[in-house]
Amino acid sequence: MNPQQSDVKNILLVEDDPRDVQMTLAALDELHLANGILVVHDGAEALDYLCHRGKFKGRLPGHPVVVLLDNKMPKVSGLEVLKTMKADEEMKMIPVVVLTSSREPSDLREFYQLGVNAYVVKPVDFSDFMAAVRQLGLFWGTVNVPPYELGGNEVVDHNGPVALLEKKRA
Amino acid sequence: MSAKSIVELATEVVPPGFPELYRTLTAMNEELTLGVLRQHELTEAAELSNIQLQLEICERKKAEAEIQRLNLELEHRVAERTAQLEEVNSQLESFSYSVSHDLRAPLRHVMGFVNLLLRDAGPTLSEKSREHLVTVSQSAKRMGDLIDDLLAFSRIGRSEIRKTEVDLNQTVREVLDDFQAEIKTRKIWVEIHPLPSVWADYALLRLVLVNLISNAVKFTGARAEPKIEIGSAPGAAGETVVFIRDNGAGFDPKYADKLFGVFQRLHSQVEFEGTGIGLANVHRIIHRHGGRIWAEGVVDGGATFYFSLPPRNGGSDEPPAK
Repeated sequence: MNPQQSDVKNILLVEDDPRDVQMTLAALDELHLANGILVVHDGAEALDYLCHRGKFKGRLPGHPVVVLLDNKMPKVSGLEVLKTMKADEEMKMIPVVVLTSSREPSDLREFYQLGVNAYVVKPVDFSDFMAAVRQLGLFWGTVNVPPYELGGNEVVDHNGPVALLEKKRA
Repeated sequence: MSAKSIVELATEVVPPGFPELYRTLTAMNEELTLGVLRQHELTEAAELSNIQLQLEICERKKAEAEIQRLNLELEHRVAERTAQLEEVNSQLESFSYSVSHDLRAPLRHVMGFVNLLLRDAGPTLSEKSREHLVTVSQSAKRMGDLIDDLLAFSRIGRSEIRKTEVDLNQTVREVLDDFQAEIKTRKIWVEIHPLPSVWADYALLRLVLVNLISNAVKFTGARAEPKIEIGSAPGAAGETVVFIRDNGAGFDPKYADKLFGVFQRLHSQVEFEGTGIGLANVHRIIHRHGGRIWAEGVVDGGATFYFSLPPRNGGSDEPPAK
């Protein structure tokens, strides 16, 4: 896959726990999606990416096809990321799927009140987890049609997203 | 001069009838004096009772002020206590939140990476090593079940109770429907006596029935002719007593007090699967309805679980667990 290709639909994974990142990528990997997967490690990085600022200043224009958003993260929580996105005319169109450990009713209410597109509780069972992530990748990566022209984001080859991610962090 | 006696003179001067008049006047005077005296007495008495009244009013005012002060103090103490309880409650909330999120994540990782390892390196491992990895994975899964159960238990304690009229006949049949497949294949004989309507939270009462009936189904697993009987009887003070009887494994009545504890089990995991949260949930729900729960059993002689529910407007509901 050519990283410069401009029409690749990227998935933005916002997850602070490297083990969850690894498992999520392992599940998405099984799908051999055409989508690039970009990983950021907290809400602040996610907003930097979405707003083209900080280390993502000057990245290629365009929005991810979906944001897979963890909630409990250092600095800026998933809920705060969603709040910021929904307050912005442009960003509020980007589909957001919460991928979290919590099934607390208060969390569910808060996210849905803000208009989240889906709320998925990370299954504890391994095969359930893999199946859930595969379904998400398949649906948001290939089935769902986003409301905007897909731009060429900084593309991460799905075979080596972690490596690229580590490079970004360095 | 012929001297007239004074008496004669007086008789001449004083007109006739005077003595009567004099007597009358004297009598009136006396009465008047007496009257004045009585008036004085009355005035004194009135003044005395007036003073007493004023004293009484004074005391009553003091008492009223005291009551007001006590009331204020009470209100203050209630407000203080409420604030403390709210604080404890919010601590509990964040505790269960942390259990739900922070304990589940590492478990997911244990299971995830063991399975990734099995997937990637499984073929190169010995049979025994693969079994060990499966055990790790199963234990992690069991811990996940325990955490989920504990969370559900804490939620039952915190949830608000919304009571309505619940038709037990219908609710019991609904619950039995969920077990229909097993009832059919194992040919469980189910006998339902006519049941009354009760005043309870529908969802929670349903949970009670699901737990008790699923236990009856589970613990009759070894019986050739499994039997479950559900009925009710009026209890003391207008309460309703419901019983669920089975001819299953039963229990040793010596340990009856352990039946309703969290994660307490009277059977091994090998005999009968379970985490030991079901009856703790049942106990908590019935307790919060202001009812009672108890059980009778004999080892290998079946068990009967009873619960009572107070009548509408009867019995006091327990507030959510603190």
